[in-house]
Amino acid sequence: MTYARPLAHKLVPAAAALAAALVLSACTPATSTTENSADDGTPVTGGTLVYASGDAEPSCLDPHVGGNYPQALVASQYLETLYTKDAEGKLIPWLAEDSTVSEDGLTRSVKIRDGISFTDGTALDAAAVKANFEHLLDPNTASSTGYLALGKIASMTAVDARTLELKLKTPDNSLLESFSMPWVAIESPTALKRSQEENCAAPVGTGAFKIASWKKQEAVNLVRNEGYVRPVASSTHEGPAYLDAITWRFIPDAATRYAALQSGEVQVIDNAQPDAIATATKTATLKHLDAPRPGASNRIELNSSKAPFNDPKTREAFVHAVNVNASIDSLFFGTAKRSYSPLSSVEPLAYSDDSLFDYDPAKAAELLDAAGWTERDTEGYRIKDGQRFSLTFPVSTSQSIPAEQSIFEQMQATAKDSGIEIKINLLDLSSWYGDLAKNNYNLVSAPYTKVGPSVLSILFHSDSTIPAPSGYFANHSQVKNPALDALLTTAGSTKDEAERKDLYTKAQKLVLEGYYLLPLYDQQNHFLYSDKLKNVGATTAVASPLFFDAWLSN
Amino acid sequence: MRQLFRVLAAVVLLFFILAAIAPNLLAPFDPLAIDPAAAFSSPSAGHVLGTDESGRDIYSRIIHGARPSLLIGAMATAIGLGIALVLGTIAGFGGRWLDFGIGRILEVLFALPGLLLALVFIALAGPGVTTTVIAVGITAAPGYARIIRGQILTLRSSPMVEAATVLGRSRFHVLRVHILPNALAPIGVLATLGLGQAILWAASLSFLGLGSPPPTPEWGAMLSAGRTYLSLAWWMTFFPGMAIVLVAAAATVLGRSTKFGGVR
Repeated sequence: MTYARPLAHKLVPAAAALAAALVLSACTPATSTTENSADDGTPVTGGTLVYASGDAEPSCLDPHVGGNYPQALVASQYLETLYTKDAEGKLIPWLAEDSTVSEDGLTRSVKIRDGISFTDGTALDAAAVKANFEHLLDPNTASSTGYLALGKIASMTAVDARTLELKLKTPDNSLLESFSMPWVAIESPTALKRSQEENCAAPVGTGAFKIASWKKQEAVNLVRNEGYVRPVASSTHEGPAYLDAITWRFIPDAATRYAALQSGEVQVIDNAQPDAIATATKTATLKHLDAPRPGASNRIELNSSKAPFNDPKTREAFVHAVNVNASIDSLFFGTAKRSYSPLSSVEPLAYSDDSLFDYDPAKAAELLDAAGWTERDTEGYRIKDGQRFSLTFPVSTSQSIPAEQSIFEQMQATAKDSGIEIKINLLDLSSWYGDLAKNNYNLVSAPYTKVGPSVLSILFHSDSTIPAPSGYFANHSQVKNPALDALLTTAGSTKDEAERKDLYTKAQKLVLEGYYLLPLYDQQNHFLYSDKLKNVGATTAVASPLFFDAWLSN
Repeated sequence: MRQLFRVLAAVVLLFFILAAIAPNLLAPFDPLAIDPAAAFSSPSAGHVLGTDESGRDIYSRIIHGARPSLLIGAMATAIGLGIALVLGTIAGFGGRWLDFGIGRILEVLFALPGLLLALVFIALAGPGVTTTVIAVGITAAPGYARIIRGQILTLRSSPMVEAATVLGRSRFHVLRVHILPNALAPIGVLATLGLGQAILWAASLSFLGLGSPPPTPEWGAMLSAGRTYLSLAWWMTFFPGMAIVLVAAAATVLGRSTKFGGVR
């Protein structure tokens, strides 16, 4: 944790000053940074923001359970995390005040901020944080994202009211990054004691808003937390939020969602379509927030655990048989940039190699011939030992936008010229999970958001082929390589930042050159909003927007 | 005027039937061939009805889409009529209690909107082309069954059936020789009328993503894909929609004119 500790130290005085300022109810904290309020006028309190999400409605509003991006988006409004990132992308403490790690890296001590309460009145202290970690690590919670993020914790003790001491199985230099994710957000321990069903319906946090009601299939209704104390600043004001309430709706159809924004029925939409973004940027009344997600890039994973992709030559042939760039150019209207890395471009340690992924059918043909796929059947597909070169590609309709599905269709058409059959199955989320669990896929595109390069361990370490308590495993390419495992393990535990970078670079090289994945672009995270909504732009560490500072003009 | 409509309808239907039988005669392009550089081209001399998001020729896709679209419609109508024939015959010929029972079941089915019935079936059986065909067939069946029952009831009290009964013919003989052949005559008309409706329903289900998988050029699926880009490329939605409207209208016009033309 060499890179985060000095930063944390630097911020302690500032944070302490802020805490004092809040207690004295002073007006302007010295540490506040402004996003884009310059020409937005004077903030007005009141009004209900209607947010329309294109994601599937979560079945549980507690992001500890399972742990996906739709949950993070909504939970960012009512739950907060121990750490977060500032506007410059630096990791800063939030509900925590500071954290130190022992010389051997096996003991981490987290100082919890004082004077903060959950919206049910419970006070935030070390025991509350401990209860949250225990909740996440409890198999009954069925957490996947948060569970993996805290996997290195062996035991924990609340030393005093404000100090939590964590004993680690192995050193983990990504722990503070993990603490900044909504899937490891801190909830009221009193509320966590309720049944999972109750807690899923209305988790209780320290956020600027709290859950008033949840009408399933319709909306999550959030109201302002009147007792809100902003513990750390990257905001333009303090005290409660400006907005009275947020109505969090789910409108899965992209065109309907955009139409709702145009008509003024909603003020913010997520999962904006590329063509809508292109139109909206020319519309004076609409604004665009582009917030690429950290962690993995958006990529297609090649399942190396079974034929035909258990032969590296076939994987290499496949990436040369599809023309991704032509598709991105025609379908994304300049809103997405091609990626050649396993990591998001917002990750400082991302390593790219664009020389590996060129569209080259001749090379694909050569490789397929060399791999023994020499014959063709009547439909023109290559065959070997009577088996067609056929790839099953389950696509989750709720985790991919239409433009993405069009890319897949175009890949299907281009790959056919090389004698490769791609069978696209458009599935709902649970059938899609089912296909993954049954290993019934050759290609799959799954988003994975995590703060920091340690996402590489989750995606490519052989341990990640073993399902989490929720049944999900993230190593979809099913790469099992002892050398890679060793690289990732050392990269995740070293205290030397230069070594960390070097090892993660090597690991990325290995998976790219092994053709375990076909990177497409950053995980797209485009929001369009009405110009009536001011002061939008603040996000959490996972790039989900925060509406604490936002206000509606009349 | 009616004659003109009839000729027009026949021409439209024949065109699409030809398209279904021999699409390569009419379509200038491969319906699956992509050309990303030419994506979202508006109608022009090169692509008369424009191109879609992958640069595929819309006209060629509509022509190639005739087969799946018409086939789904025709098969669904056949299934609907088959079910209806069995139910209608039993109701019309099986006596009072069977008639009463089947009548009530049909009324319950009538109470549900057609598409909802199809959706319930798909929810139970899972999406896919086969399921869509059966779902639409089941949805269409109650309407046909009632007409067939009425036809059979009329025939039962006709002089020829009375004569046959007096002559001591068995019930089965009467049904086979006198009733069914005469009851079947209007079914041709019903089928033509129903075809349009079935194509419409099948397209609706494909539109909802419950029919043909990509990249099949099915009209409903094309409509659905185009809807995303409605503000950008109206032709992606408009022309497949027109194809559905034309076929459904043509089938209906032909069906009605045959009826008015006096099949007995």
